[in-house]
Amino acid sequence: MIEEPYRWVEAIANRREYIETQLAAGSPIVALGYSDGILFLTVGRARQKLFEIYDRIAMGAIGHPGDIERLRMAAIELASTEGFTRSAADVSLRRLAHYSLSPVMKSAFEQVYGAPFLARLLFAEVGSKPAEDLFLRVEYDGAIATNGAAVSQARQHFAVLSATKPSADLMESFLKKERAASATFPETIKTALDAWTVGHMALSEDGTKELPERAAISKHRQEQLVAAGIEAAVLERDSRTAIRYRTLSDEEVRSSIAD
Amino acid sequence: MGSKAGRWRRTALAGHLETGHEGSPKKDAQGRSQSIEAVSPAHGAIMDRLPAAFDQSFSGASEDFPALLRRKALLQHAPDLNASDGNRSFVPTESTTILAFKFSGGVLVAGDRRATAGTTVVYDRADKVLEIDRHSIMAIAGVPATAWEMARVLEHSFQYFRRTQLQEMSVDGKVRALSKLLRDNFGFVMQGVGVVVPIFATYDSSAKPSARLYFYDAMGAQFEVTDYAATGSGSPAVRGILYYENNWGDKPLQKLNEDEAITVALRALDTAAEADTSTGGVDRGGKIFPLIKTVSREGITTLPEEKIAQVFNQRVA
Repeated sequence: MIEEPYRWVEAIANRREYIETQLAAGSPIVALGYSDGILFLTVGRARQKLFEIYDRIAMGAIGHPGDIERLRMAAIELASTEGFTRSAADVSLRRLAHYSLSPVMKSAFEQVYGAPFLARLLFAEVGSKPAEDLFLRVEYDGAIATNGAAVSQARQHFAVLSATKPSADLMESFLKKERAASATFPETIKTALDAWTVGHMALSEDGTKELPERAAISKHRQEQLVAAGIEAAVLERDSRTAIRYRTLSDEEVRSSIAD
Repeated sequence: MGSKAGRWRRTALAGHLETGHEGSPKKDAQGRSQSIEAVSPAHGAIMDRLPAAFDQSFSGASEDFPALLRRKALLQHAPDLNASDGNRSFVPTESTTILAFKFSGGVLVAGDRRATAGTTVVYDRADKVLEIDRHSIMAIAGVPATAWEMARVLEHSFQYFRRTQLQEMSVDGKVRALSKLLRDNFGFVMQGVGVVVPIFATYDSSAKPSARLYFYDAMGAQFEVTDYAATGSGSPAVRGILYYENNWGDKPLQKLNEDEAITVALRALDTAAEADTSTGGVDRGGKIFPLIKTVSREGITTLPEEKIAQVFNQRVA
């Protein structure tokens, strides 16, 4: 079937379509930088979607739990052995994503007789100041998105992960508009939750290109929060401790957004 | 690899109960990745060329961090104990003094700063009281190279467990992890290198009692104590003092406040240094004081040198 080149291209295109369908149900994830760290937030019903990878690195993922687990374990294993043999300062998200995860995911994706990784990953690494924060999205085909910023440009201080491209685009334009560098932690939580809501609305309505009205956002958010839980974690910038990852409980998040 | 009998003995002595980690890593890897290959034969070919991490990912849940390090050849196996080793006698040479006891604020762990090689003092500012995680302290008597490596493995083991298993390791699990490292190291001990005799102190606010204190022997047996522990060459004197203080002192050790606890620790180390050349005590000229850490509900506190100096000048000197 794939002896001829165009067949291979066709097989890859089919596989891309298949993976996109498989990922279509995932709840969006927001990573948003603020002065004291990086907030990860999503709303869900069943599985845990935010994970600690190493001292300063966290991961959010949508996709098949089995594939997420394999990639998560691989990332932790690589970071831990590097941190053990050299030092925690030598563990970098850039190396982890570019040289370890991406090539493997690309190979799995292009081997048309094998199963690809049904997962889309969002990583963030907290730096000693906001300008040093790094956000990376790793796609199921190994493609890495660094938030649209080129290597030498200032990075945007957020990243999103969603099941569809239109939804992710809307979330990004929402955050571009709403994010304030001086935002307090409760304000950051509110913004992240609104960005999640925008992404979730775009998944249920077909083809919306426009940002919804503020009232519509809060209505949808309130409806969703009745039945689902808020999962959140922070990477703290506080350099007094080595381990920066801290999970936030549902109550902790809800109490800080209560108006 | 040695004879079958020899291997068995090594396995039994080194405590490698998981037979999966014996034998060549290659066989190990193939055995474990069966389930992945069954799903996607094409993956096998790619993954053979890639970091072991991806090949082994399903086994991660059952593998502890030292096993991962051995698979990647980052942690040495202790040497085999052959028949010719039979005439070796085990001489415990832990030249130092460390002590720990429970006081009203949690557990206090103290150690002198001297490192020796034979009768030579090689270092005056050795750090023998090490933080393993937010609530665990390991204090070491023995060969520094092995001890510091052990502390590093332990520190990473606890983090690795929390990150992969998505829950904190229990206190019993942590205590046992150190015990297993000591047993795995016993081949080195019998060769006369690498003996380590640690004290482990931790605070678990969900348990009763919350402050927990353990000492170990070189083979990895763990002993939980109710009040105090001391190891190293200067420990007989320290044990005598702590026993006396606990029974006939002004108040039992567990009722002491922080200043009183520091006083007892400094007096005990000074007494140990009086008779033991390997224990540094307090160097008044060089202003080198013992290292004292406490662990409580809030976590670990390293007492500042000024504080120790102040207590020393008021109540010990």
